[in-house]
Amino acid sequence: MNRAGRWARTAVLVAAGLLPGAASLGAGSPELAPRAPVQDFVPPAPGSYALPPIQRVPQGTVLDIDGRRQPLSRYTTGRVTLLSFMYTYCTDPIGCPLAYETMMTLRDRLLARPEHARRVQLVSLSFDPAHDVPEEMRRYAGRLADPASPLRWHFLTMRSVAELKPLLDELGQDVSVEVDAQGRPTRVLNHMLKLFLIDARGRVREIYSSAFLLPDVMLNDIETLLLEPAAP
Amino acid sequence: MKTPRIRLTTMAVLLSSMLAAPQLAADETCNSPYLSTLIKGQEDYVHVWTLGVKGLGDESDKLVTVDVNPQSADYGKVVHVLSVGGRGEAHHGGFTDDRRYLWAGRLDDNKIFVFDIGSNPAAPTLVQTIADFADRTGFVGPHTFYALPGRMLVQGLSNTQDHGGRTGIAVYNNKGEFVARYDMPTGEHDGVAADGYGYDIGINPQKNALLTSSFTGWNNYMMDFGKLVQDAEAMKRFGSTMVMWDLKAMKPQKVMNVPGSPLEIRWSLKAGDNWALTATALTSQLVLVKQDAAGEWQAKAVAAVGDPAQIPLPVDISITADAKGLWVNTFMDGKTRYFDISNPEAPVQTYEKVIGKQVNMVSQSWDGKRVYFTSSLLANWDKRGADDEQFLKLYHWDGKALTEQFALDFHALGLGRAHHMKFSAKPAPGTARDPGREVAIAQR
Repeated sequence: MNRAGRWARTAVLVAAGLLPGAASLGAGSPELAPRAPVQDFVPPAPGSYALPPIQRVPQGTVLDIDGRRQPLSRYTTGRVTLLSFMYTYCTDPIGCPLAYETMMTLRDRLLARPEHARRVQLVSLSFDPAHDVPEEMRRYAGRLADPASPLRWHFLTMRSVAELKPLLDELGQDVSVEVDAQGRPTRVLNHMLKLFLIDARGRVREIYSSAFLLPDVMLNDIETLLLEPAAP
Repeated sequence: MKTPRIRLTTMAVLLSSMLAAPQLAADETCNSPYLSTLIKGQEDYVHVWTLGVKGLGDESDKLVTVDVNPQSADYGKVVHVLSVGGRGEAHHGGFTDDRRYLWAGRLDDNKIFVFDIGSNPAAPTLVQTIADFADRTGFVGPHTFYALPGRMLVQGLSNTQDHGGRTGIAVYNNKGEFVARYDMPTGEHDGVAADGYGYDIGINPQKNALLTSSFTGWNNYMMDFGKLVQDAEAMKRFGSTMVMWDLKAMKPQKVMNVPGSPLEIRWSLKAGDNWALTATALTSQLVLVKQDAAGEWQAKAVAAVGDPAQIPLPVDISITADAKGLWVNTFMDGKTRYFDISNPEAPVQTYEKVIGKQVNMVSQSWDGKRVYFTSSLLANWDKRGADDEQFLKLYHWDGKALTEQFALDFHALGLGRAHHMKFSAKPAPGTARDPGREVAIAQR
């Protein structure tokens, strides 16, 4: 099992209460502890609603798993894109692993409909260019980065935080380094979990934080964008 | 794994700007469920969006920051005042999803001020003024600010055409750029006349439910209160509906008849609960909005607040985190009342206390032990003369009684009319930005 798989399994186990730590994630009342989102409604049908453009995806230069420098727009245009910021050693069960699990669910369901899968791409972009170098991202990705898959999943990093931070700021993706009791940086990066749904023209059309990570709804959003007429 | 030194150094320099405390894990009870950081512990500051008063201090609307940490030497003192210039009917505010920025609106000139709270909560700064609300949306009176991921819902109270109550919801992204607008529903909806009015917003994510309430338009909320209550035609122009929206689609699903101007909306925060409470200003009722056995949303009055015949004018309400208690302020008698809502179908008042000659807003800490009150309703609706008390007061609640901890007289301090409150917490000691940590980061 690759690293991604291990984190996903950890998330599932914690969500199921099989590993210690889940209860301690929430201060105060257990019933108010952080938890995976619950969908207690029937989502509106694809194409029955609009997703107004929220903002454009900013410019940037990324590194693919072969270490090649590419414009970010290569991975945020041309197809409907689901972009997630992550780092490979994240263990917060309601952080990167939850995003990963959600993307895996969407991947499986999209691959069941290849005509859709070919028009969609997934992007995982690391918060930590120092650790998550291209080779690390390749190792993390494993078979998920298979270029022959109808649904491409790109695992990207950047050369430096200097190049990454403007991108994070522009997209409103916060991240901070957790410090220990002595004020020393730890290996934990605190970040608000956000996934960005981007249309083929590179415009953010929906942003999913933890409470919105509902695969049924996200799939309908993706299909809603796929139903839109192609840009002239 | 060994990483090239140059890369670590670059990372270190920039990561030093990201240093922050571990995220706090809770919040006061009435914010958007999409806030990333919540304050379950001791709040450090209360920010009071304050109306300027002619002839008082600098006469300007301002954000007043009060130190409320009992461990601080400045406990109970105003530590920062940020005037924004002019008087435009400062009213409510709300944090962005990352809780770094506070958006605060003015109901008269429609300006929206964006304050940076996250960088230094002890000394907020004004980073942006959004002045296109009326032009871009046709709405007037940006009232409620409710965070969604990466954007802000802004509920209007009125419109540019007739300054009446018809209005809508605007969406801005977190950079302050206009995204979309949605009219409040009008016309007949399954036998209910939709009035098109708006006031508050409340979202239950797991139900995809966005609930709105209804107040009145600019013509009324800017009118002298004494004159308003004598104007029979004007008094007819108050909201009498609540609307359940499909949040994803931003489409009205059901219009519910709730006479008497339903105001603040508080969803139960307990997982799995499917109900919210509001209070009607003119008819003094607590109203429960809940799904019935068939999953249909229904609204019904479940308790009176004081003596409705006396029109005590319920204003702000605050629900406890465990959804077992509800504070209800009544402006005219200056009282706060505590209701046991263990059974939301039948709330029971168990306590009341006079807070001042007039009282409007109430905010409680997550644990419910600290309850803050402010005094101003609207500049032209506040009482006159000696009854026009303006304050921020903190009480401790032990489950049986409120005990005053401090009171700040906003008149005596030359500040103005104290209105909406928002809490903030400073980073834990030793976690502020510090270039000296670069080496440590590089070695992590």
